[in-house]
Amino acid sequence: MFCGIDVGGTHTDAVLADENGIVATSKIVTDRNNLVGTIRESLDRILGQVNPGVVEWINISTTLSTNAIVEDKTEKVGVLVSSGPGVNPSGYEIGDNFRIIRGSIDHRGTVVQELDAKDMKGALKEFSKKGLKVFSVISKFSTRNPSHEGRLAELVQESGDYITQGHRLSGELNFPRRITTAYYNSAVWRLYNQFADAVEKSIAEHGVSAAINILKADGGTMPLDLSRMIPVETILSGPAASVMGIIALCHITEDSIILDIGGTTTDIAVFAEGAPLIEREGISINHRPTLVRALKTHSIGIGGDSLLSVTESGVQAGPERKGPAMAQGGDDATLIDAFNYSENAGVGDQAASVAGIRKLAEENGMDPGELARQAIQRAVNTITAEVNEVLEEINKRPVYTIHELLEDKHVEPKKLYIMGGPAEAFAEVLGKAFNLPVVIPAEFAVANAVGAALARTTRDIELLADTEKGQLIIPSLDVMKPVDEWFTLADAESEAQRYLLDYLKKMNADKGVVPEIVEASSFNMVDGFTTVGKNIRVKCQVKPGVLFTFGEKPEARNSGSGA
Amino acid sequence: MIQAKNRLGIIFFPAFDWAISPTHPEREERLLYTQDQLWEEGIFDIKGIREYKPDIATADDVRRTHFCFPDVDSVVTESHLISAGGAIRAARLVMENEADKAFALVRPPGHHAMKIVHGNRGFCNINIEAVMTEYIREHYGPKRIAIVDTDCHHGDGTQDVYWHDPETLYISLHQDGRTLYPGTGFIEELGGPNAMGKNINIPLPPLTSNEGFAYVIDKIVLPILDDFKPDLIINSAGQDNHYTDPITNMNFSAQGYAMLNTKLNPDIAVLEGGYSIQGALPYVNLGIVLAMAGVDYSHVLEPDYNEELMEQDREITQYIKKLAPRVLEAYFDPRAVAGSRGMVNSYYVRKKDVFYDTDGIREKQLESVMVCDECNGVLKVETVSSVNPISVGIQIPINSCSRCHREGYRMLEESKKSGKYTYIKFINRKDREYLDF
Repeated sequence: MFCGIDVGGTHTDAVLADENGIVATSKIVTDRNNLVGTIRESLDRILGQVNPGVVEWINISTTLSTNAIVEDKTEKVGVLVSSGPGVNPSGYEIGDNFRIIRGSIDHRGTVVQELDAKDMKGALKEFSKKGLKVFSVISKFSTRNPSHEGRLAELVQESGDYITQGHRLSGELNFPRRITTAYYNSAVWRLYNQFADAVEKSIAEHGVSAAINILKADGGTMPLDLSRMIPVETILSGPAASVMGIIALCHITEDSIILDIGGTTTDIAVFAEGAPLIEREGISINHRPTLVRALKTHSIGIGGDSLLSVTESGVQAGPERKGPAMAQGGDDATLIDAFNYSENAGVGDQAASVAGIRKLAEENGMDPGELARQAIQRAVNTITAEVNEVLEEINKRPVYTIHELLEDKHVEPKKLYIMGGPAEAFAEVLGKAFNLPVVIPAEFAVANAVGAALARTTRDIELLADTEKGQLIIPSLDVMKPVDEWFTLADAESEAQRYLLDYLKKMNADKGVVPEIVEASSFNMVDGFTTVGKNIRVKCQVKPGVLFTFGEKPEARNSGSGA
Repeated sequence: MIQAKNRLGIIFFPAFDWAISPTHPEREERLLYTQDQLWEEGIFDIKGIREYKPDIATADDVRRTHFCFPDVDSVVTESHLISAGGAIRAARLVMENEADKAFALVRPPGHHAMKIVHGNRGFCNINIEAVMTEYIREHYGPKRIAIVDTDCHHGDGTQDVYWHDPETLYISLHQDGRTLYPGTGFIEELGGPNAMGKNINIPLPPLTSNEGFAYVIDKIVLPILDDFKPDLIINSAGQDNHYTDPITNMNFSAQGYAMLNTKLNPDIAVLEGGYSIQGALPYVNLGIVLAMAGVDYSHVLEPDYNEELMEQDREITQYIKKLAPRVLEAYFDPRAVAGSRGMVNSYYVRKKDVFYDTDGIREKQLESVMVCDECNGVLKVETVSSVNPISVGIQIPINSCSRCHREGYRMLEESKKSGKYTYIKFINRKDREYLDF
């Protein structure tokens, strides 16, 4: 059996599931000051009736790192940055201990200027005076040549409890994002490792010896041991858990829109041919873009509890939320109350909704039916406009070959999946607005925890081979080795797959994974009029997916006759 | 986070699957390292800078600008329509105020493509700035447009397309034609009788450095632009004046290009040539992007940059100083410089021999334009080349007077009746009519 726990900002959901469906669920309020306690209680509830030996893995999605970063409760980090020429690096300053070291590496990975010894000495002196214990070292083009990051790591080795080297976080090119990502990684490192220790202990106390995995924002997991080194990868995994949940609950094969409607916000996700879309470079936190891979989700301030108001520009719904709907004991009319009034949605105390809408209408000299209708229309318009914007952004995504530009692949949604508390109320009007068939998964209330339980390991790597230099590099796996001039694109693809699979095996995280090549290109490098080598680039990933889905074989699950 | 002063749209289209031939300078690899540099710098995370997909130019976009023989499809591939489409996208961003400025970082280039197209010259099939400029006029009304070409090679194509258009000021800064392809671009080439002085060439000596370019911009280009008062400034941003370029001999740097862009302050920039793909393009493109966005570019330096080697020879400085008054005179008093010759009745007539170096095509042209005080003048060009039999192109200008309009139709009927021409191309910009016979 597979266990998933989604520690959210308000609630913590947990499920235990196997191929036949959900075995146990739990929903408790998150104790933000004691996340481990919350996890322990969730485990108590779902493991209560089963033999702990049957649990194969426990997957946990946690807001720990996210909260620490957003609430600015992180450790001070000594940041060493080697920029070389380009954009003025002082624009990327982060934290209070940001030092620029002269030295540079170019786009081919050639060292142009050695690191400046005086700069390094000065930084080291300052950092030890301040008593810093964690560091991040980042150089421009370190994914092409990590030697300067290695040298900077050596410099702070002695006083460092942990040092993040930029190239190990991602093979993508983006120096400012590399700085931010490496900074946050070290900033949450200690806090996260304390949490990991406590979680490990607590799970052991439950007599469970299962593998422990941590959810990432890309909808995949990583082994707990790996997460200790790259805790930044645990940020913002919540929305991804819900998206993975809907994959497990419904068998999605087409272009689709997923709406997760909560009390305050609606999360939008888009699927292309049944697969969730991934952010091009990485997710942003604290308005700073990072290299943390994430599913493309978009949050807007419309939910069931969105406060209704009347202004000069008409009836408004949200983004403010004061409390629950009047139907659920709140003091002010919300969107749910409007649905109760005009659509007979049947949520909670319908009479309270009617009274609330009438009162608001009277105060503004409006017909209550008209007010409720306009409120719903406003909410629907906001959601459709946002979805269309997300679709437009996806469909306008730049491409770099004539072939792709002419092919002009478009995402055209065929189905609308709605989940979350107010899903039923919204379904009909949204279906009409999008002119799409609507699916509401039966067990959407715990979709996030189901997603966590069934999410597989993901990992992506980038390989670059430069046959003129005779060198192959996979930055995030710290692989660097020579290649000869006959090395081909096909060789590069199989090397990338082999290295990724070996790595996952070593991590004991290769269950059900298939590394696939997502991008592969080979450029002839010409000097004068002579071909001097090939510049080969390969991206290989284990893409987000679930171990199995329930939606595929609902008959088997209902009749209990499954294999 | 860095915030750009100007909203800048970048159309980046490296055409990673297209080359003239495997080892040709215009090959797949050309913008690879530029992409690496821009991505590594996180350019598109700078607030205010956004990346856009190119449009694909249509056959009509080409037909309103060029006479293509035997037809558009035969001389143009998808790669050209996309690179022209990239320029059009840049124009749309600016014209529709989605961006303050736009940079079409696209290939293949276009500034050697002339009004008549039989094939590829100097790596160019269609003139992407001209296709863009005419798209602007077609969709956003008449505009005074200045095209400032900072490619190292004389933009003989753009000069030819706008030779008779007084509403388009073409200024080319380039390595002197006596020392470099295409061997043209002298001060005396000032435009046809209806547009005299609206074609300005500034031939610069080899090894002109940042100092020389700055002087030319300050003392020649900006005063001329001040007088012309364009609605839009377009920069043909070739990057082969760079000191590392393998096929030219100038001494310009990434800092120089960024400085030039700041001074020129173009609304739209379009990449042209530039073939030092590792040593120059990543840095020059970065410099131009930052300059257009109004972001600090003082740290953009080539790995092998050496300030001492950038110093300009005194003789070159003197030469350029002497050039300035001659060019200014050419603009402000063009007839004194160019004189007037080649008149036949009301028509100004000239003969041209054109060589298409990339495709090895030879062409002969006989061009006549109505000398007209009221409009740009109806144009007729007879052409014969090593790939096409004698053919003709007739153009009624966008601002045509009734006489030139009538003349255009009369020429068309006469050409059809004569049976002399294998292909007849008819552009009527006034009524948006584009016909092939």
